Amino acid sequence: MGDPALSRRGFLAVSAAAGLGMTALSGCGGDSDGGSSGTTTIEWWNISTTQPTKDVWAGLAKKFEAQNPKVKIKIVQLENDAYKSKMTALTASGKLPDIFHTWGGGVLKQQVDAGLVEDLTDSTKAWADGLLPVAKQPYLIDDKTYGIPFDIGMIGFWYNKALFKQAGVSAPPTTWSGFLDAVRRLKSAGVTPLALAGKEKWPGMYYWAYLAMRTAGVDALRKAADDKDFTGAGFVQAGGHLKELVDLQPFQKGFLGAAYSTPTGQAATVGNGKAAMELMGQWAPVVEADAGKGLGADLGFFPFPAVEGGQGSITEVFGGGGGHALRKGAPQAAVDFLKFFASQATDQELVKKTGVLPVVPAAESSLTDPNLTAVQAQLKAATGFQLYLDQAYAPAVGQEINDSVAALIAGSKSPEQVTQSVTKTAKEEQ
Amino acid sequence: MTRKTLRTLPLHLVLLVVGTVMVVPLVYAALSGFKSTDELSRNPFGLPDRWLTGNYTDILGSGDFWRLLGNSTLIAVATTVLVVAVSALAAFSFARFAFRGRETLFTLFTLGLMFPFAVAALPLFLLLRSMDLLDNPLGVILPQAAYGLPMTIIILRGFFRQIPGELEEAATLDGCSPFGFFWRILLPMARPALGTVSVLAVVTSWNNFFLPLLVFTDGTWWTLPIGVQQFQGQYSAEYARVFAYLVLAMVPALAFYSVAERQLVGGLTAGATKG
Amino acid sequence: MLFIGLVLLPMLFALYAAFFRWGGFGMPSDYAGADNFTRLFQDPVFLGDLWRCLLLVVLSLLIQLPFALAMAVLLNQRLRGRAVYRMLFFAPYVLSEAITGVLFSMVFAPDDGLADHVLGAVGLDGLGGEWFADPSWVLATLFLVMTWKYFGFHMMLYLAGLQAVPAELTEAALIDGAGPWQRFRNVTLPLLAPTLRISVFLSVIGAIQLFDLVWVVTQGGPDHHSETMAVTMFQYGFKRYQVGYASAISVVMFGICLVFALAYQRFVLRRDLEGATTTMRGNGK
Repeated sequence: MGDPALSRRGFLAVSAAAGLGMTALSGCGGDSDGGSSGTTTIEWWNISTTQPTKDVWAGLAKKFEAQNPKVKIKIVQLENDAYKSKMTALTASGKLPDIFHTWGGGVLKQQVDAGLVEDLTDSTKAWADGLLPVAKQPYLIDDKTYGIPFDIGMIGFWYNKALFKQAGVSAPPTTWSGFLDAVRRLKSAGVTPLALAGKEKWPGMYYWAYLAMRTAGVDALRKAADDKDFTGAGFVQAGGHLKELVDLQPFQKGFLGAAYSTPTGQAATVGNGKAAMELMGQWAPVVEADAGKGLGADLGFFPFPAVEGGQGSITEVFGGGGGHALRKGAPQAAVDFLKFFASQATDQELVKKTGVLPVVPAAESSLTDPNLTAVQAQLKAATGFQLYLDQAYAPAVGQEINDSVAALIAGSKSPEQVTQSVTKTAKEEQ
Repeated sequence: MTRKTLRTLPLHLVLLVVGTVMVVPLVYAALSGFKSTDELSRNPFGLPDRWLTGNYTDILGSGDFWRLLGNSTLIAVATTVLVVAVSALAAFSFARFAFRGRETLFTLFTLGLMFPFAVAALPLFLLLRSMDLLDNPLGVILPQAAYGLPMTIIILRGFFRQIPGELEEAATLDGCSPFGFFWRILLPMARPALGTVSVLAVVTSWNNFFLPLLVFTDGTWWTLPIGVQQFQGQYSAEYARVFAYLVLAMVPALAFYSVAERQLVGGLTAGATKG
Repeated sequence: MLFIGLVLLPMLFALYAAFFRWGGFGMPSDYAGADNFTRLFQDPVFLGDLWRCLLLVVLSLLIQLPFALAMAVLLNQRLRGRAVYRMLFFAPYVLSEAITGVLFSMVFAPDDGLADHVLGAVGLDGLGGEWFADPSWVLATLFLVMTWKYFGFHMMLYLAGLQAVPAELTEAALIDGAGPWQRFRNVTLPLLAPTLRISVFLSVIGAIQLFDLVWVVTQGGPDHHSETMAVTMFQYGFKRYQVGYASAISVVMFGICLVFALAYQRFVLRRDLEGATTTMRGNGK
């Protein structure tokens, strides 16, 4: 254990070699450089199984094929969870699809460390420099670019203006004590303050992560991951603040078993006006309207409040997006496709039709929804950025944070125990 | 007659209650498929205000559903034929021959029963990949058959043992080879047991989710359970549609079972009266 | 061959991987000795898994199987409509876990679910609760669903066994003046014993390996209160990329099954194995 970083690299080098060797041995699936006719088929794996995105993306692939007659694009679409399981198996087997969906962060880093992902730094520099800087962050590993974003967003509170009014809360709170106050008022007015999908764990993690950003600061989160030590006072405080909130019993009935996007889940609870707020990403309005009725003009957005005396400020954002990475040795056509997908014309179409936030600054004009515009303004003015913890960190650490925070919310772990469990997992991860 | 009815009345009552509990969730799902999602949250349990058939016909009208159905059927049938054929032979040797290491070998097979599939998923995936069986129905059929063997062999062996040894001796006297005995006498006699294991094999294959997910990248070979999950991802908020899909995905299994059940029971009673 | 290649090989590989710190990339190379195992037995979640497993086994043996047996005996009588009932009771078994899971998460949805409405309708709303969302009720609710889905399978096994009980025997007992309970206790039950033993065996193994249903319905939650060994293993293997540790869990699971199976075979099943074989002379294998 003298130098964990070194041993990790050595281990990964060996495993990478083994992985590549396996690929060479099996020698199968060589679909990327196709037949004698000179056409190249590239596989594009994504998780856009929902409409309208599914059709829009298929249309874009057709358009690219028309522009590049020698390239065929084969789309493989998998539902989110299925995609993750399948990618685990594929990563183990040492060969990834030509173009694949990624959230960046720790999972991408593991794939990069195993030598499975193409370094895009030089091949995309010419056009990727113009993309929104905050959107590119998740895919930067050791200052190299391994992925190109098509979406970026952040987490914040989505609230029901009518219910706030009913409870006499005049303006969205900007401080944590103000927030707790608002929760108390909502409760005494007979309104369920917050909806939470307890079954899925990640929505609960948002609270702890934001509180940690506000108390300990963004740098502390980065440092904690590097030092494998999450026991700092700021993290314990973050848990303590979350406990203050939980003790008010602010969540809807049965929240521990609730899912996120089902008709009885978190989004629908807010969308149907049965709870006043949820802490969620930029996709929240779409899901609320899809799973529930949607709030229309009553829906508002405010950033996560600052904590008095904390290191962080209200302008630091917690979020992430979606992007694409290429497997090591993917054909040039795949790079061309990424360029096409990140072009202004494509991005405008994506923003208009699929509700994502623009990653190409010039595509901003296509944004019309006032709430999304507010999110976009926040993002552009951000003074700090933290990627979703379950993606930023190594998968085991991310899952442990989700798990421990869920336990804190369920009342079976104390703030100190959360930091200890996470630290223990981080240390076990070599 | 009336006395008998009176005597069996409590029994009927018990059955009725249990039956209701069993059937209500299924009826609930089927009815929900005829509602709109809106109505589902307003009126979860009553009959639909208006019987909407759109949820069902939309799914049936798309070729996807039928292709998934075909895939599921092909894979289930192939798995069943393979597993029952191999198991019958193996169970025959286990039940009727005394050979060295028989119990050890049999224990080895029962070990397979204790090994959850999820554990082996990763190594199995690597193995299938090196055998170039990904995106190939065989990549699902072979492992499924392998994992189905232990259970099938255990059931069949038990059955083969119940058949009296005299029968076999008589057959041998009539000039039957061991295989002839197996083929012409044992198998026909074992029809009920074969029916049972076939039903089990078909059902297991039909419902398998994880293996087809890992093996089939390409949508062309997907089976119904994967379809259900994809569909649910696609229409996560439209529960009525999802219910319709669930019901339609259930129908073939239930229909198959209703046919197979008659044969199964028929075989059983026939065996009982003859015995 | 098929069996060895596709079942035993992966199994041995998992055994091997259990001794490594392995993230699932390439081949395992970071030898960890027994670390994974010592860590396992200090992991409160895993210890909880063991306890929950035991609980489910006890519940199955005390409630589910007797219930299945009672239904089998009931349906073995000449009752009108018994074919329909028999079919209905077995039907859930042919449904996939995924479908069952989705169905019951709707049935047991808090407040709005079928279960709460039914309880409300018969004036028992006090009993309605959060079901899958309540840490102290989730396991019981899960057991209810398991019984719904699986008791028909055991019932079918018993029915097949009951059909094999020669009618002459029960008739003889009837002539001897034995009551229904005595007939059941002294004639039917002993003859049914081999079936019962197999059924108990399958039920225990099933409880140890329970995965699909839990995964679909609760993913082990809330707060691990319905987590099983297989779910924990899946979490580590496919969510946390700690494949070595996950393999250790599967090895322990396998070990438990094995010990149980051997003990069971030694003390319970032995009677079934004795003297049932006929010998064939002069045959190759």
